[in-house]
Amino acid sequence: MTTKLSPLLAAALVATASLNAADYTQWGGGNTRNMVSEEKGLPIDFSPGKKYGPKAAPKEAGRLRPNAQDANKAPGAEDIDMSTTKNCLWVAKLGSQTYGTPMVANGQVYVGTNNESPRDEKHIGDRGIMMVFDEYTGQFKWQMVSPKMGSGKVNDWEYLGICASPTIVGDKAYVPSNRCQIVCLDVKGLSNGNQGMQDEGAFMAPLDKDGKPTAALTPGDIDADILWVYDMYKELGVFQHNATAGYPLVIDGKVFVPTCNGVDWTHTNIPSPNSPSFIMLDAEAGTLLGEMDHVASERVLHCSWSSPNSVDVDGKKQIVFAAGDGWVYSMAPETHKDAEGLDILNEFWRYDANPPEYRKNSAGEPIKYVEYDGPSEIIATPTIADGLVYVNIGQDPEHGEGVGCLSCIDPKGKGDLSGKALWTFKGIERTISTPAVKDGLVYAADYTGRLFCLDAKTGKEYWKFDTKGHIWASPLVADGKVWIGNEEGELFVLAEGKELKEITTIEFPSPLLSSVVAANGALYVTTHTHLYCFKEGAKTPEAK
Amino acid sequence: MHHRPRPSFGCLFAATLALTGISQANDWTNWRGPLQNGVSLEHYTKAGKLDEKPAWSVDIRSRGTPVVVDGKVILWGYKGETTDLIELVTCLDAKTGKQLWQHEIPDFLSDSIYNRYSIGAPTIDPETKRIYLTSNAGNFVCYEIDGTKVFEIPMMEEFGRMTFPNSRVGSPVIEGEFVIVHFIFSNWGADGPAADRVYGFDKKTGELAWWTLPGVSPPVDSSFSTPVLETRDGKRVAYFTTGCGHIVCVNTHNGKPYWKMPICKNGVNPSVILHKGNLIAIHGDENVDNSEKGRMICIKLPEKLAAPVPPALEATTLEPSVEVWRNPIGATSSSPVLVGDVIYQLTDGAELFAIDANTGADLWKLKLSNANLHSSPLYIDGLLYCPMLEGKLVVVKPGEKSGEVVQEIKLEGDCLGAPSVCNGMLYVATTKHLYAFAIPNKGVKVDAAPKVEMPQAGKAVALQIIPAETVIMTGSKQAFRVRSVDANGLLVSPKVEGVKWETFIPPTAKVKATMDAKFNEAGELVVAADAKSSAGAFKATSPEGLFGTIRGRGLRNLPLVENFDEFDLKEDQPTEAIKFAYPPLPWIGARFKFDVREVAGAPGNKVFAKTFDRLLFQRGTVFVAPSHLSNYTMQADVMTDGSARAKSDIGLINQRYLICLRGNAGKLEISSNLERLKQEAVFKVIANTWYTLKTRVDVAKDGSGVVLAKIWDRAQPEPAAWTIEVKVPRAHTNGSPGIFGFTPLNQKRVYLDNLSVTPNK
Repeated sequence: MTTKLSPLLAAALVATASLNAADYTQWGGGNTRNMVSEEKGLPIDFSPGKKYGPKAAPKEAGRLRPNAQDANKAPGAEDIDMSTTKNCLWVAKLGSQTYGTPMVANGQVYVGTNNESPRDEKHIGDRGIMMVFDEYTGQFKWQMVSPKMGSGKVNDWEYLGICASPTIVGDKAYVPSNRCQIVCLDVKGLSNGNQGMQDEGAFMAPLDKDGKPTAALTPGDIDADILWVYDMYKELGVFQHNATAGYPLVIDGKVFVPTCNGVDWTHTNIPSPNSPSFIMLDAEAGTLLGEMDHVASERVLHCSWSSPNSVDVDGKKQIVFAAGDGWVYSMAPETHKDAEGLDILNEFWRYDANPPEYRKNSAGEPIKYVEYDGPSEIIATPTIADGLVYVNIGQDPEHGEGVGCLSCIDPKGKGDLSGKALWTFKGIERTISTPAVKDGLVYAADYTGRLFCLDAKTGKEYWKFDTKGHIWASPLVADGKVWIGNEEGELFVLAEGKELKEITTIEFPSPLLSSVVAANGALYVTTHTHLYCFKEGAKTPEAK
Repeated sequence: MHHRPRPSFGCLFAATLALTGISQANDWTNWRGPLQNGVSLEHYTKAGKLDEKPAWSVDIRSRGTPVVVDGKVILWGYKGETTDLIELVTCLDAKTGKQLWQHEIPDFLSDSIYNRYSIGAPTIDPETKRIYLTSNAGNFVCYEIDGTKVFEIPMMEEFGRMTFPNSRVGSPVIEGEFVIVHFIFSNWGADGPAADRVYGFDKKTGELAWWTLPGVSPPVDSSFSTPVLETRDGKRVAYFTTGCGHIVCVNTHNGKPYWKMPICKNGVNPSVILHKGNLIAIHGDENVDNSEKGRMICIKLPEKLAAPVPPALEATTLEPSVEVWRNPIGATSSSPVLVGDVIYQLTDGAELFAIDANTGADLWKLKLSNANLHSSPLYIDGLLYCPMLEGKLVVVKPGEKSGEVVQEIKLEGDCLGAPSVCNGMLYVATTKHLYAFAIPNKGVKVDAAPKVEMPQAGKAVALQIIPAETVIMTGSKQAFRVRSVDANGLLVSPKVEGVKWETFIPPTAKVKATMDAKFNEAGELVVAADAKSSAGAFKATSPEGLFGTIRGRGLRNLPLVENFDEFDLKEDQPTEAIKFAYPPLPWIGARFKFDVREVAGAPGNKVFAKTFDRLLFQRGTVFVAPSHLSNYTMQADVMTDGSARAKSDIGLINQRYLICLRGNAGKLEISSNLERLKQEAVFKVIANTWYTLKTRVDVAKDGSGVVLAKIWDRAQPEPAAWTIEVKVPRAHTNGSPGIFGFTPLNQKRVYLDNLSVTPNK
């Protein structure tokens, strides 16, 4: 159930929106992943409103029940009473855990979530879900449904859902499923017929209670049209740790993705050290074109979940990937054959984002991973700005707080650039948040809950702001402001610039782990359970 | 069991009459305290703030709660950092911190990571002052208060108790003559599928008296929820939350499950509290009926309790209508504290909530830090003592409308365990130290502890036979204590004479197996010297027609040789269109993870193979013989399917060391918990090639040892030299021989053949 705006009002608001130029089609908004938006006139005085509560549908509180369609006919207890919102165009109900940041393209909004608010009665139970909504009304359109692997937490942790959202290029959307797969979708869904792969029914078939596969389902109108699926564990022997993550980078007909290869239950054993941590696929065919040397897999600390980006240096395209071993690798979108006949991506440079003192103590002994002062992998995305690479180290939030390091690297270098950063900033702690850079200032947050403003050239700290709650999200710089939410459900809005200035804090009823997105004049805020579209002047519609 | 002492019947009967504890009321004998809810009975005259300087501290690391009895503090902790890390049970003088005794408990074969040790606490029996504790690897140990070990049960090897990376262990509970634990067990036969099961042991002997599965299988996670006990409907019952997301109620004298109620789709860890006939539980994960994460729930406890009537095995599921109230607050592992009609609860985000226990309404909240893991508050004389993960102890004065932080003490290390208190001394552990802080006062008064209402036994209706499960080696025998119990599981007679024994096959058994053993005239179960390896059950019927059952495994003495050729491949595996046989029934943890089949392309060659049909079982550990064995050589042929880049792992377990051929890494690795021991020799593994793997563990008189392993192409002669020799300063001296298989994401199968376990000469 989506609480909708009247069609007339929606049309009026659409007319004021800018066109596709301000879509947000991939993580970070562009290949540089620098979360700086040109959007103006974003709302600042808005409210997420309140849920209807048990009075709406006491027997169907929540949406998890055998017959989801019945429940979707009327507002449920967890739907938002729109009369209690402010400057809110629409609110869509998501699952119970949402880690995907929404993407906005060609009138549709895409977001990865789980299936705890099932939209389709034939898909009940734990699944990875990527929902698609109408950009202007919030109406649910279709969804990709990916059953669990069935191996428990080690590969596909229960209820994490799909931990990313798609990268949309033209009429295709590229998204990791939860099953160590990369999936290419038709953005029109099945409304224009079933293109490409015809096995959607088998793809969606869940496991039975014993973990055994069941018979193929019959795809319906609101199921996804899958064009191709690339199975990283079947094709490459990858052992995914906990989840599939990372937003695909699509350039010149090639898709670049992390494989999420990692450790097993023991967090020491690496089952697949010979499998790559990063690959290049053909965007049309979904076939393997190349892979990174498996060095990052051999020494992975936990898992490779970061998203790649791209920078042009001296006329050459570099694909930059930050890996699970705590190193950043820059590669060309071209390959060479290795001794085993594998197509290996050509490397420009690599950089250990962990200072030596995080790897070894003063006695030269290795410092244990996960210890507060030990080394970390990279989960945040490196940011490209003004020709430089900014990268943070960090760990799975489950590992808690610890030392961090933000490095600024010049990608013109060659070979091993470790120790050759332009500057490093160790005042920041572990983080999975991607920095944003604008007007010579870096805005970077840590898991501990602080937002820093640094000089982009020197790393000098101008200010830091303590949100007093853990931060998973990345800051958005837009409309003269910096927007960031925390685990406590608080959305902080601060002024851009060298002076610390708090503008407002808006409380949401659920954690804000996804990043705020600005697109076409609207602001998208995603909690674990709801996707809110705020827009200045949005009139409160009648609740439906 | 063959290696544990048994008491005389008379001694046992006397023990059952001592129904309540005889220790001091303010002894802190279990981590939740005398009221089972984190509240102390102590009050102080002219109490002052804690002295910021501890009265004493000791350098023992812990993530748990110290317990206190007779002026002694008992702590489960650990020392060391890397390969030197070892668990400790330490007894200290409560006033001075002087160490009175200490035992070391080595971890082995566990999945514990990141030094997550001692997440739990010992429990002291107020009657006998004995100390009970489960170690990280699942060794259930009992010590006298003077440190003498009474018994040790390696539950991993004997009952298939599983370990998890979260390493949450929790605490046993004492109930009359029993000591009770619950964990995820994957035992043998009907108890092969993993489930959160409760095991009730005779607290004096360590013999298993009963076990039960009160929730559902499979579980989603583990749970360290400590059972809370009460008398209801004439029965003694325990309530706790499970790894399958339920609140459950079981009889504490016979294990009968009375009811279950799903509240969460993941494992639930916090302990429950009881309030005016209601039960209050909390969790931090997916709810069963909405999409919010976490919930505190209050349910009305059923007045009448009924166990399932066979053939039904599952307990009744309570209807949602029993819900009295709910509050959207959530917590992953911190337990609530109940003071009168107010609940105090710490969240994962380290907010302290005060909640009306009658209505569930929030009274106030107070942010104490930005994260809390495992630790729960302790309420003493009007103040809440809240240890915070970041390493501080926050003292809060709760009021009606707000709470006030009255003191904060910085501690060194992370703080994950609840504090405890006795005689005005507060004990709190961190990952660096155990601290004792004095609460300044001019006198201590102690409220009377509630008296346990132990119901009177009624008419005998069944036999309870101890041990309820046994392992007998060939040429050995086992005696049983046959008792009669009433409908509520309460003991009627400690000795029933003249029972008749017969083989028993449960009507629900998938495999109609019997144990190759016979009862002699003395009522002992005898496994003949030439008996086959077997497993099954027996039923005893008294002259009055009362009956009860036991089950057991008869295992062959070494040498153990198995080439799998005698197995009859009569089961259909439709997805692979092959015939297979179930693995040997007496092997722990084998079912559904391994089977016996022919190798493709080698008809007639029957081998032990990893199954693929359930991804949950991509990794399997099997124990093929009991844990007391030592000084043996293991050998087997092993093989992995695969390609140049994707292969699987196969290994042997010898005396608690895993000797594993890591297919993809191309190495022969020796480990026993990978953070404690991990050494390897390079060995390139070629897919679809049979290798022979041989291992031995030599232990020297000084306790050190060397783990030896060699591997060679089976087609070649055995090389003289060991492939790898790993010296260990402190060797495991015994352990079950076992088999390990890990087929990552079930892509490449592994096989084992010609297994032998032979005594060293």
